[in-house]
Order: sequence, then structure tokens, then C-alpha cells
Amino acid sequence: MMARSRRPVRVLFVLLALLAWGALWMPADAPAAETPRRGGVLLATIGADPPSLDPHQESTFANIQLVAPLYSTLLQMDPLDSSKIIGDAASEWKTSPDGLTVTVKIRPGIKYHDGSTMTSADVKASYDKIVFPPEGTRSSRKAHYAAVAGIEAPDPSTVVFKLKHPSAAFVANLASPWNVIFPKKYLDKDPNYFKTNVVGSGPFKFKNYVRGSTFEGERNPDYFVKGRPYLDGYKFYISPETSVRAAALRSGRAHIEFRGLPQSEVDAIRKQLGDKVTVQEAPTPGWWAVGFNNKVKPFDDVRVRKALTLAIDRHTMGKVLFPLTGLKNVGGLVRPGTQWAMSPAELEQLPGFGRDIEKSRAEAKKLLAEAGFPNGLKFTLVNRNVKLPYQDFAVFFIQEWKKIGVEVDNRPLETASWFDAGRQTKNYDTIVDPHVDFMDEPDLTLADFLSNNPVQNWMNYSDPQLDDLYARQARALDPAERKKLVNAFERRVFEQAYFAHGLWWVRSIVHASKVKNWVAAPSHYSNQKLQDVWLSED
Amino acid sequence: MRTYILKRLLLIVPTLLGVAAIVFLIMRVIPGDVALMILGGDDGGQINQQQVDALRSQLGLDQPLIVQFGTWLWGVVRFDFGDSLWTGQPIAHELAIRLPLSLQLALMATFVSVLIAIPLGTLAAVRQDTWVDYVVRVVSIGGLAIPSFWIGILCILFLVIYFGWGPPLEFTPPWVDPWVNLQMMVWPVVTVGYRYAAVTTRMTRSTVLEVLREDYIRTAWAKGLRERVVVMRHALKNSMLPVITLIGTEFAFLIGGLVVTETVFTLNGIGRFVVEAVAHRDYPVVQALVFLIAFSFVIVNLLVDLTYAWFDPRIRYR
Amino acid sequence: MATSIELTHTTATAALAPRLTAVKGVLRFTRKKPLGAAGAFIILAMLVVAASAELLAPYDAYTADYAAQFARPSAEHWFGTDEFGRDLMSRIMYGARIALFVGFSASFLGCTLGGLLGVMSAYLGGKVDLLLERVMDMLLAFPQLILALAIASILGPAVQNVVIAIAIPIIPRAARVVRATALSVKENVYIEAVNALGAARARIVLRHIVPNVAAPYIILLTAQLGGAILAEAALSYLGLGAAEPTPSWGLMLSGSALSYAEKAPWIPVFPGIAISLGVFGFNLFGDSLRDALDPKLRNKG
Repeated sequence: MMARSRRPVRVLFVLLALLAWGALWMPADAPAAETPRRGGVLLATIGADPPSLDPHQESTFANIQLVAPLYSTLLQMDPLDSSKIIGDAASEWKTSPDGLTVTVKIRPGIKYHDGSTMTSADVKASYDKIVFPPEGTRSSRKAHYAAVAGIEAPDPSTVVFKLKHPSAAFVANLASPWNVIFPKKYLDKDPNYFKTNVVGSGPFKFKNYVRGSTFEGERNPDYFVKGRPYLDGYKFYISPETSVRAAALRSGRAHIEFRGLPQSEVDAIRKQLGDKVTVQEAPTPGWWAVGFNNKVKPFDDVRVRKALTLAIDRHTMGKVLFPLTGLKNVGGLVRPGTQWAMSPAELEQLPGFGRDIEKSRAEAKKLLAEAGFPNGLKFTLVNRNVKLPYQDFAVFFIQEWKKIGVEVDNRPLETASWFDAGRQTKNYDTIVDPHVDFMDEPDLTLADFLSNNPVQNWMNYSDPQLDDLYARQARALDPAERKKLVNAFERRVFEQAYFAHGLWWVRSIVHASKVKNWVAAPSHYSNQKLQDVWLSED
Repeated sequence: MRTYILKRLLLIVPTLLGVAAIVFLIMRVIPGDVALMILGGDDGGQINQQQVDALRSQLGLDQPLIVQFGTWLWGVVRFDFGDSLWTGQPIAHELAIRLPLSLQLALMATFVSVLIAIPLGTLAAVRQDTWVDYVVRVVSIGGLAIPSFWIGILCILFLVIYFGWGPPLEFTPPWVDPWVNLQMMVWPVVTVGYRYAAVTTRMTRSTVLEVLREDYIRTAWAKGLRERVVVMRHALKNSMLPVITLIGTEFAFLIGGLVVTETVFTLNGIGRFVVEAVAHRDYPVVQALVFLIAFSFVIVNLLVDLTYAWFDPRIRYR
Repeated sequence: MATSIELTHTTATAALAPRLTAVKGVLRFTRKKPLGAAGAFIILAMLVVAASAELLAPYDAYTADYAAQFARPSAEHWFGTDEFGRDLMSRIMYGARIALFVGFSASFLGCTLGGLLGVMSAYLGGKVDLLLERVMDMLLAFPQLILALAIASILGPAVQNVVIAIAIPIIPRAARVVRATALSVKENVYIEAVNALGAARARIVLRHIVPNVAAPYIILLTAQLGGAILAEAALSYLGLGAAEPTPSWGLMLSGSALSYAEKAPWIPVFPGIAISLGVFGFNLFGDSLRDALDPKLRNKG
């Protein structure tokens, strides 16, 4: 069969090559020359509703994906290359040589959807709300601005941030998609005004929201970037059932699902729709791991913890779990391949990252025996009752642990109970502990390992050495020095084996090929403003 | 009769009060709380204990349980269910968005099932222990055996894979565009209606069977009346009361039982709402919904019992 | 009214008759109720598979084999393998054990507790009856699935907790039916006579009332079996059933099973068929048993 069909295939190749060669001589109307088309409504599906519409107060993608197109931020990650930071409402920004003052200039003539003009007073009011939240409001990312001493607005187009100490992450945080700039006059009336209302200056204006069903925005004709946006509007359909969201894409009722779908759905959609859909893979600043309850026996013994992390064959796990769950890359605490990450060779020296799994398993057994468990041990793994990736991830871990004689019972809890166990009661032996950031920034990533915040650090230990390293890296303005400190932090965590690292997430986003000019950012919180996105003809 | 009605009405009060207390307590016993869900619902933030405590007290969750219960109950008495803790919106408003869809689904499913069940059930009874009877029974028992979410999703996937057609994602009320509305509702109605029809068919069959054995039917046969007349005029008429009862109680159950169907078909109805509210630990929403479902159940039951009492005076004096 | 009481009484005693009549009864049942016999056959097959899963199942139901993920049905794997490379047929065989455990223990627990409360309520009467009736009304009015959902999330994910979550909503239904029967038995002249003769209360309940409610109890029990298995599937779908890697049918259908419908249709199809067939068997049997045991009781429960 194979042998017979080989010849026609080769003939086909030659023909194709000839055709391609011929095409070179034809006048080019290739994709490169595609001009953006005005019009059309982008249809998206999303898995949840947010508690409120105020991004300062929320931390879920269900908030930011819906409202990001309605607002402006000071800076932003470049929609076409998210590793670069560019201006949005800000035209220029400058850090003083001592690192204690950051001055930002605001573009003139930015109009809010109610017709008023954005000034530095609005920026100050919005950032005051984030950094020093008034009574009765919350600020989900207040901790990221611990360095800020005060915010000033010396003239209508200038904002000055005064810092207590230099902060390496501060400018990046001004590009945070969450820090939208609200008009001050509404905040003065009610700091919670924007939980249920929208007045922004973004490329789209709020149109309609039916809780649990749809969210719509329409083109803002007065957007300050000329000629943008291209779309007439966008509409989100809210559907918690993954297979229904996938079906919506397949039947053409939606163009895109921004967060990413399970690999099996992506494959099926691609198989059915061929080149009518495009798949983007986005290595995401997020990982899944298993945290140990470091204060509870036997996990208070570093030998036990080390044995448990040594037992996991992460390199095989990536190959096995990626097609099922999207969990793929082996890495440390900062995303592999980014500027702060250590090299694979360095990483492989750390417990649990070695390539020789048999050796690691032997060492794990030896450590367990030394710790007084020559016949292995038994414990439970508290998990979240969500199939992907939580259950599949747990199945792999349990199977790996079995190989060194450790019996583990999977206990998937409802999300709220799982949060309660991880963040409050610490009522678990081991717990599946994921971490997802909205950008690659060590300040955010490493904060989950600090001793002083048990709500954020699920692993129930305190380690002053880590706290000190964290504070030093946060202040290190020299990238080379900062990298050294970040890597030292990672080494300390892995040597102490406070948790068993899992894998880094790679999202697969499938969308109709007619959706143009949208480049998946690493995180599903970023690049949702949609000002450059356009829809081609069918 | 009047004292009977009065007595029955009075008995509703402790039942509803009990339901209110149970749901209130159950929600507080479940681990996890809404403040933690709101603050840490996803990983896009960084929170600490002070924030959790501040939010808890802002939502009134730091008050003694008895005070919380009292406040809530006092609201219920005034038909004010309060605000959702999750969204801060009035619950009445949130319900108004979702109730029409659930009601439409329940009504349509009831209608479809009655349309199928009564003829089929009667047919099966009249032709008891023939192949007709067997087929009807197998089909109706099958309706009770197949997990509705499974068959529902498989139906949709089949249509999507082979015809590239999927149901609309947004609810359009029937008075705006009946065709679009139907496209969305047809699958849930079929899956819910089938199950419902199965229950009703079985019931119709057995009551008709029973009536057919009664003396007056035998007399009718003996008088040489045609089969159709016997069945339609006598048997069916006399067996409808229990069937109507069942339809009533099932309808009340249905409102509380749409949870899975609505989740599967992405219908923004009260079934999905209650599941999400439990997941968010949105206490007042769960309390309100359970209370309302229990209330409608109790009322339907009362109506059924009163009808019975009307027809059978012996019941009143029990 | 009177005829129905006598009927209950005689059928119940007939059910307790010697073994020889029992064999004959089975044969007669098969002849008269072929559907019921088919149901019984399905149940029997499930019991055999569940009891001897170790012998019958070709593979271990728990161990993942990442070399054999998504294998299509073949000579090695009759039903194919799942996303972890586990043999589906073996998992379904072990799953029968869990389905039967959940079905039997939930309906037994619910019907027995409900039955006891029903008898108590009927026999003691008065304030106890009033109070118990109100409690049962409350449980009945409480949306079933939400009650199960709450109980399952309080107790945590484990098969035995699922049993409790499913059993509790059965209690008021069982109590109602049993109370009604017990009431009519109690009003029987015959019981009044025994009472007048000065028999001890416990004796009356045990010797006279309990045997009479046996028939509705058994009918209820079989009627609830299928429902309990289905409820387990629904709870699993909502993420509150058994935990991975337990081979529960409901769990095998939940989560991403349905998203493999195209790539590996056997993953969602076979467990779905297993559930449907199992529940179908129980319902067929229960239905016919009801017809056979007591025609008057058909409308209840």
C-alpha cells in the first residue's frame, strides 16, 4: 500500500514545487499585503461571569477579557509582541537615576465615552484607588505597589510616582492590563461605581450585559488612535461548559475562545474546519504543582519532601500531559526561556529535574528509608474537582509516587472548599497548587513563596532567607544582578523542596482564520484590548 | 372544607421555616466562603488575610449566625431576598433575567410530555402484555435510564460534527423571534421532555389499567359499546386525576431539577444559577432559590391535595 | 379501601411462602413478565461481573499506561482505552461493583430509614406523627439535587459519601409510602383485636405491621436502585462524585470524556451505555415486580 502510493506523492511534490516557483513570478497579492478591513462584530465565548466589572477589584480573566476593550491603561504590552512595553494613555515615561521617581506624560486629547477629557487627576485617582484603596473597596493587586510612597499630579498632563525604594517591576506594572484609568468624577461620588457601570476611554464603548449570557461592546468613533478600532464591536457569549464553547466555534457561532481550549477539542476543530481555523500556542506564565504541608508530619522532614519531588519524571510528564491538558514545559519558578530563567543545564542539577529518572527514584527510596519510611508511606492529595488539568495532573503524580512505594489518595474538592483548604485552614497533606500570572515578572511569580502571607503561600512554611532574597531582587535595578538573586531564590526553594513542581502551561487558542491581527499573549489576561483586531471577508 | 384548607395552609408555615433553616445551616457548614472566592477566584491578584477579613465584614459575614438568619428571614417575610454577595445585585433582578427561560423550558417539556405520554400510556394499557405494550414500556423505561446530560451533549456533538450546526448561544424570548428561540430550546426540551414523558406514560398506563378493571367498565364492555368509546369516555376520563397530580408534582420537581440540563445546554436559567451560587458560596442566592423552589413545590402539592379532597370528602375528615 | 388492605396482607404472606413455590414463582414471573425477567437477567449479569471483576477483567482498572492512550477497540482492548491508556472494559467491569454498591446501599439506607420513620410515624401517631411528617415535608420540598450537592460537598469526595448524599433525599419518599400502608394496616380490625388482647406494642409492630409493609418496602427499594445509579452519574458530572482514579461509571462520563467524543468516541459511549443498561435493568425489574406484588401500589413511590 505504502510502496505503491509513494510515486504519485512524489509527482505531486514536484508539481507543487513547480507551481510555487511559478507563483514567484506572478504579481503578489499575498497575505503580506492584506489591508485591514473595517467592520464586523467579533464573537467570542468565555467560560464564566465576573463578580463585578471593576478590574481593580477583580482577579479573574472573566472580568478583564470582557472589559479590557472599554478602557485605557497608562502603558501596555505591545499587542503584536508582548515582550515589549509601549505607551497607551501615556506618551512617555521616565525613571529617575536613583530609581525613586517615575514621571509619566499623558497623551493630550484622550476622550472618555461620556465626552470628558482624561487628565492626570484621573490617573492619580485611579492609582490612588489601586495603591491606597478607600474603605469599602478592595484592590486585588495592592501588594504589587508596596514600593509606592505617593502619587502626584503636578499639571494636567503629568503624573509622578514617588517610590520608597527602587522597584525593578514598577514600570512593568504600569502596563498591567488591570490598571485601567477611570474618570475621577465618578470615583469621587462612589468608589464602587465601576463595579456595575462602565465609563472608559478605550477603543470600544459598553453596549449591553446580560449576566450569565452575553456581554457586548461597540466601536468608539472618538478613540484617540486614528482609524482604530477596525471592528464595529465585540460580543462575548458566556458558557461554562467547555464542550459547548468548542461546539460554538465549530458551528461558526463564535470566532474565538481567548483562554484556550483542551487539546482534544483543538484537534477536533482543526480536523473538521481545516484552514478555516488558526491555532496559536502561547507558553503561559503559569504552572501546576503539588504543595506540601510543610508543618505537618512527615512533610516537615526535608528528606521526605525531596524524595517525593525526586520521584516525578517531569520530562516524560510534559510529553504525556500536553496532549491531554496543555501542561508541557519543564522549568523553574520563572517561565523557561524568559530573561530571568536559569538554563536547562542549571535546572537539571536541582532535585527532581534530572534526566535519569531511575537514578532519581533510587535516591528517593533511599531518602525515604533514611527518614524512617523504608516501606513507603500513605497520604492524601487535596485537589480541585475540575477535570482539566487538575485530575489528569493528579493521576500522573499518583502513578509516579506509586513507583517509589508511596500510596496517595486523590481528594478532589469543590473550588471553594479547595481554596479554603489551601488558603485558610491548611487542612491537607499535599495539595494541587497552581499559579498563573498576567505577566512574566519575578515580583509576581515569587510572591507565592513568601512567609508572611499564608493566604497566598499555600505551603505552610516560613523561610526568612527566601523573604530576604525576594526583597533584594525586587530592588535590584541591574538585570544581571536581579537574575542572580532570582535564581538563588529558585535554588533555595528547590533544595528545600517546599513543593513538588509540575509543569508550565501552554495554551492552545483556536480561532476562525478570519480573525486577523490578534496575537496570543503569554497570559490570557493580557492583550485583550482588541483595538488592532479585524475580521476578513468570509 | 374550609377548616381543612385552613389547616393545610397553617401546616405550610413550619415546612417552609424548616426548609429555610436547613438551607441556611447547610450553606454555612459547607467549607469555603464567598469572600475567598471573590478575592482569590482566579490567580490574577495577590491577596492577604486583612483583605479577606475586611470583605467578610463588609458582606456582613462576621455577624453572629442567628443575627444573619433573623435578618434574612425578616427580608423573606417582606418578599425581599436581599442582594447577591457575589455580584452585589438585588437577587430579584438576577432572578428576573433567568426565570423566563426556565419557565419556558419547564412548560414546553410538560406540554411535549403530556402530548406523548397520555396517548401512549393509554394505548399500552388497552393492549396490555402485547408487543405494543412492551415497546411503549421499553421506550418509557429507557427514558428514565439514560443520563440526560450524556445524551444531550452527544446530540449536540452529532449535529455539530456531521452538519456543522450548533444551537444559538443566547436566549431570545419566543415573542421576539420564535424560530431562533425554538432552535435553542428544542434539544433541552427533547431531553427533559423525554424523561418527563417516560414518567407520565408509566403512570397513565397503570391508572388506565386499574380503571379498566373496575366494574362499570366491565359493564360498559358488556353493554357492547365500542372500544374507542369505552376507553375515551370512561377509562381515560376516570384515570386522569392521578395523572394530573403527577404532572403537577413533576412540574414542581422539574423547576428544581433543571440543574444538569441547563448546565449542559448553556441555558442561563435558574438551575444553572443555583449551581453557580453554590459554587460561589453566594449564600443568599442559594437560600432564596431553595426557598422559592420549596415554596412552589408546597403550593403545587397543596393544590393537588385540595383537588383530591374536593373529589373525595373522606380525606377531609382524616 | 378494605379490599386493598387484604390484598397487601395476602401478597406479603405469599412472598414469605416456602422455597418450592418460590421457584415456581420465578418461572411464572418469567412467563408472565418477560420484561421483568430481562431486567432480572441484566441485574444478574451485573452482579456476576461485579463479583468476579478480578477474574474477568483483562487489565488492572487503575494503572495508567501512557503507551496505549486512546487505543481504539481491538482484540487486546475490546472497548478501547481511555485518555490514560487504561482498558475501558476492565474499568467498566470494576465500575459495575461501584454502581451496585452505590445503588444498593443508597436505596437500602434511604428506604430502610424512611421505612422505619414511616412505621414509627404511623404507629405512634399523634404529636410524633405530626412532627415527623413536617420534617419529611421539609426534606421533600428541598430540591433533591441541591441537597445531594450540598451533602456531597460537605462530606467530601468518596463513594461512601455519595451514598449518603443520594440516600437522604430517598428517606422522605420512602417514609410517605410506608406510613400510608402502615396506617391502613393499623386501622385494620384485626390489629385492633390483637391490641385489645393486650399484645406488647413492639410485638404488634414487629409481627403484624412490619410484614405488611414489606411489600411496598421491597417495591420502593427496587424502584430507587436505578435512580441512585443515575444520581451518582449526575453528581459525578457536577464534580461531586467519586475521585480519580476510581473506576466509577459516572466519573468516566464526566469531565472531558465528552470532549473526546470525536477523537475516541468509545470513551464517552461505553460508560454511558453501561449506566443506561444497568439503570434500565433495574427499572424493568422493579416495574414488573411492582405489577406482580401489588397492583394497588403502582401509583405511589
